[in-house]
Amino acid sequence: MKLKLASLFTGLLMVLAVMFGTVLTPGSADAAQVKRLIFASAGFHESNRFWTIARPDHLQYEPYWETLVGMDPKTGDPIPQLATKWEHSPDFKDWTFHLRKGVQFHYGYGEFTSADVVHAHSLLVRKDSTATLGPLWRTVDKMETPDKYTVVFRFRNPIMPPSMMFAVQRSGDLRIASKAQWDKEGVEGLDRRPAGTGYFMFAGRQTGLNIVFKRNPNHWSGHKVDFEELEFRIAREEATRLALLLSGDVHIGDLPRELHKDALARGLKRFQSSLAVDWVSVYLGGQWHLKGHKHFDPKAPLVNKKVRQALNIAIDREEMLKSVFAGRAELAYLSLWIPASEGWNPKWESKFKELYAYNPEKAKQLLKEAGYGPGNPLKFQIWVFVEPGESEGPAIGDALAIYFKRIGVEAEVQTHDWAKIRTTYRKYLSKNIMWPNIIGWRPADNGVRNFYYSKGNNHHYEDDFLEETFGKVLKSNDAKERDSLMRAIGDHLQEVYADIPLFWFRNEVFANPKVVAEMVYPGPAAGRTSHFELIKLVK
Amino acid sequence: MQRYIAVRVLQSLLAVLVMSVIVFGLARLSGNPIDVMLPIEAEQEDYDRLTKYWGLDKPLHVQYVVFVKKALQGDFGDSLKYQGQSAMGLVMERLPATLELAGFALLVSVIIAVPIGVLAAVAKDTGWDAAAKVVALLGQSLPAFWLGIVLMWIFAVWLGWLPSSGRGGLQHLILPAITLGWFQVAAIMRLVRSSMLEVLDSEFVKLARVKGIPEWKVVWKHCLRNAGIAPLTFFAIIAGVLLTGSVVTETVFTWPGVGLLVVDAVRSRDFQVVQAVVIIFAFIFILCNLLVDILYAYLDPRIRYQ
Amino acid sequence: MPQLTSTRTLPWYAIPWVVDGWRQVKRYPLFSLGILIFVLVIPAIFAPWVAPHDPYMGTLSNRLTPPVWQDGGSMEHILGTDKLGRDMLSRIIYGARVSLTVSLIAIFVGGIMGTVLGLISGYFGGRTDAVIMRLVDISLSIPTILLALVLVAAVGPSFGTVITVLIVLLWARYARLTRGETLGIKERDFIARARVAGASHTRIMFKYIFPNVFNSLIVLATLQVGYVILLESALSFLGAGLPRAEPAWGVMVADGRELIVTAWWVSMFPGLAIMLTVLSLNLLGDWLRDHLDPKLRNL
Repeated sequence: MKLKLASLFTGLLMVLAVMFGTVLTPGSADAAQVKRLIFASAGFHESNRFWTIARPDHLQYEPYWETLVGMDPKTGDPIPQLATKWEHSPDFKDWTFHLRKGVQFHYGYGEFTSADVVHAHSLLVRKDSTATLGPLWRTVDKMETPDKYTVVFRFRNPIMPPSMMFAVQRSGDLRIASKAQWDKEGVEGLDRRPAGTGYFMFAGRQTGLNIVFKRNPNHWSGHKVDFEELEFRIAREEATRLALLLSGDVHIGDLPRELHKDALARGLKRFQSSLAVDWVSVYLGGQWHLKGHKHFDPKAPLVNKKVRQALNIAIDREEMLKSVFAGRAELAYLSLWIPASEGWNPKWESKFKELYAYNPEKAKQLLKEAGYGPGNPLKFQIWVFVEPGESEGPAIGDALAIYFKRIGVEAEVQTHDWAKIRTTYRKYLSKNIMWPNIIGWRPADNGVRNFYYSKGNNHHYEDDFLEETFGKVLKSNDAKERDSLMRAIGDHLQEVYADIPLFWFRNEVFANPKVVAEMVYPGPAAGRTSHFELIKLVK
Repeated sequence: MQRYIAVRVLQSLLAVLVMSVIVFGLARLSGNPIDVMLPIEAEQEDYDRLTKYWGLDKPLHVQYVVFVKKALQGDFGDSLKYQGQSAMGLVMERLPATLELAGFALLVSVIIAVPIGVLAAVAKDTGWDAAAKVVALLGQSLPAFWLGIVLMWIFAVWLGWLPSSGRGGLQHLILPAITLGWFQVAAIMRLVRSSMLEVLDSEFVKLARVKGIPEWKVVWKHCLRNAGIAPLTFFAIIAGVLLTGSVVTETVFTWPGVGLLVVDAVRSRDFQVVQAVVIIFAFIFILCNLLVDILYAYLDPRIRYQ
Repeated sequence: MPQLTSTRTLPWYAIPWVVDGWRQVKRYPLFSLGILIFVLVIPAIFAPWVAPHDPYMGTLSNRLTPPVWQDGGSMEHILGTDKLGRDMLSRIIYGARVSLTVSLIAIFVGGIMGTVLGLISGYFGGRTDAVIMRLVDISLSIPTILLALVLVAAVGPSFGTVITVLIVLLWARYARLTRGETLGIKERDFIARARVAGASHTRIMFKYIFPNVFNSLIVLATLQVGYVILLESALSFLGAGLPRAEPAWGVMVADGRELIVTAWWVSMFPGLAIMLTVLSLNLLGDWLRDHLDPKLRNL
């Protein structure tokens, strides 16, 4: 009896040893038979009511709902999509789009016309709309349709080309849904099976699990997609996504930077967006420097410029870049601006090296000058949060706490959820707090309005100079004047150490090299990963 | 007997009512869902507009009354996060998945625990007894999510035997069920073992042995049948625990059940869904307890007259 | 004359003094006590002297070094380092302190609350009993994790929040247990005699009934420390646990969860610490139950 048991056990051990000994390679999936390409996503707010969904979660609409203007996958430039030509009035208040002819909606809902554009816009300004660009769409005084293939937006204020393009490209939220479907089936029809014009058709959704799309055989471009079906599988755990990729259960997925080295070591292939997509900066509470502001507290720890400077130069950004971000990012010289943005100043790079260089000794000195020292340490909290697909918050917070501790600052890291952080800073309760935030690229004037202007709701840094300068920008429709005003704003923000800029990074995904041969996408599209129709499979 | 039942039912209803107040208060206390719904680009007018649209500008007690009135009709409001879907509808949609997981996990734990428990009782105080105890206790000592991820890694990636996430066929159930169920193995095993021990000694078992009935028959037929009553209470409690323990397991394996739904709902301050889930769970739990109490009162008359 | 002695040959290790010694050892749960002391008690009390490094500070360039027996490991950091270059061993040692503090406080406060309420409920019966038992019901039917999530969402993660949640969860079990036992005990003769002798209710409850319930309470408490530690780690996993600053085991496992395959030691060792602690506590509790009061099988 014992002998039998022993031999059984040994046999089992041998089998297990053989299996454990095999090299871990991505599960083999025969490319020729990949009927359904599966993308593992960290998750998104699931709903077809696109006017209630924030931009990054528009990933779920990318395949089937198109926008007026497309985005070149390599340069991000506007290219014709549902609109073939567009122009604006000299005062930038009227924008005219000439629509493509002969585009058919999925599931037989008829031809795409200007009425559909008006309809899409009307959805974005509904009472229950929480669309990202809602404030912009609400400034449309009138939508006109001179004929079936022309639509005119009449805005109350001038809208400059970068902002307009941002709104109508794949980066925006003007999803062209079928008016005919809405008239016939109401919102229930849209909930059940929305009709779009995209390279794929919505085939079904299981909440919490996945969305499935079918290839559109009659797309207006004539482009043939390499695979019949596309699925977005929701897998919010990082380790799960890696597991799915390695076992061959999914073919593409995004992974946190922590796991990049390992994913590459196990043979997965990495694809990068063509452009930088998000930046991460640490925002400091209490920066309400407007004259007579009722919540401003001059004694709050972070409102002293010397303190902000000290905190900025206490951080070894190069080290953080190499470690927390595994080298997969670029230094940000200040928040919000990239070279293509309005008002970009090439001198910002050299000024950054001068103003923000790593110098913990000088930081300690500055703190002493500001009145802090071993007997009176600087204290504040660092609030971090985690959102699907944005998992670096806690690591950044912890790293900052360590850098700050080295210069004698007591920073306590706390995890909260995003809702709490937002409510806190929106209600001006954040004067002892700083929080790292990952924000998606947007045109500079959009960003300044949201973050550095009193009418925005984020109050990252406000003062009278910014109020006045940006007020002028809002009224101006002269490109050169705006450029120099925006540049002045950027200069100011960099000089007063308005926040702690850290890095810009691209969107990266990993794919099974036996299945996916090529993947090109720009990055700034609303869902970050986009242009699934261009994915080439291994033959 | 009727009086006892009536009193208990009334008390249970009161319990559900108190739960509803607690949940309602806590959910509202936890923050403003508008902050989650609106993008960072939103302006003050958007906040005001949405607050009014969702009726969140009314005073708390008014909101509570509205909530109770509708809840009694089975309407827990619309989800704030999954627009267009009612909170109740969402819960009902996801409940089967959680029940399936919990049921299967219970099955798994029973399948593992009962033989071990019997073995431990029969081989009492030997090495087998101790080994069985350790194996069972191991399940209670491991953090569930850690176990889940390790299991997933071994069986789904390394060996490739089972899928690593999602819901589908039987093979999707196995790993999450083990993760969820192993925790209960110890408790069930202990219960089976002790019940068995009690009964194994009793008179009529001795009689059966004297009659010459083979040992294994004695053990399984006579003892287990009588030992089965005690675990009854236990299952009611386990059911409740499993339902809530599934939150972590569902997160790791992306199992589309109610646990995952409620974690997301709390994060998005989706009050309506949180309220719906908590109240439904509480209702089920209190109902189970009620049934067990009534059953016991039926079996043991002494309890009724307290 | 029937054979009274066995004719089986004894195994080779059945030397009489070894067998006797082993029997003595088996009397006491040395195994579990040993593990407990090593993993929980010594680190918790002597942390500052036992830990090789500062658990809060680390160098980023040192991050994710493997344990000493792997490629790239060093004696400097025997169990490796975490995402921020902090020494794992030191963090685990300090973590014992945190875990122990949280569970002991929660169980102590919850236990006292529950015991007192249970005694009152069982002793006085009637409406008081009904009210308290309904409170117990409600308390037990609140899904713990949900309560924690919502509370943390409202108030923010902190020691206080976690302990409050744990107390709300724990007291009910003590109350139920104590009440059950009280119901049984209060009908006994010596209680009746005490009442006849003129003892006040309070005196009877605490001097006569309580000592008889004490054993069961100890067993319950021992079993619950493990459960509380597990619960705390589950809450940390969901982001509703102790604040990040503290090197709590649960937070550590949660932090390392995406690295479970690559830098496995970040999650594995804290997980192992939790497992060993809880396992030995459970074994200890089992032993206590078997030896103090076999009636408690249904716990």
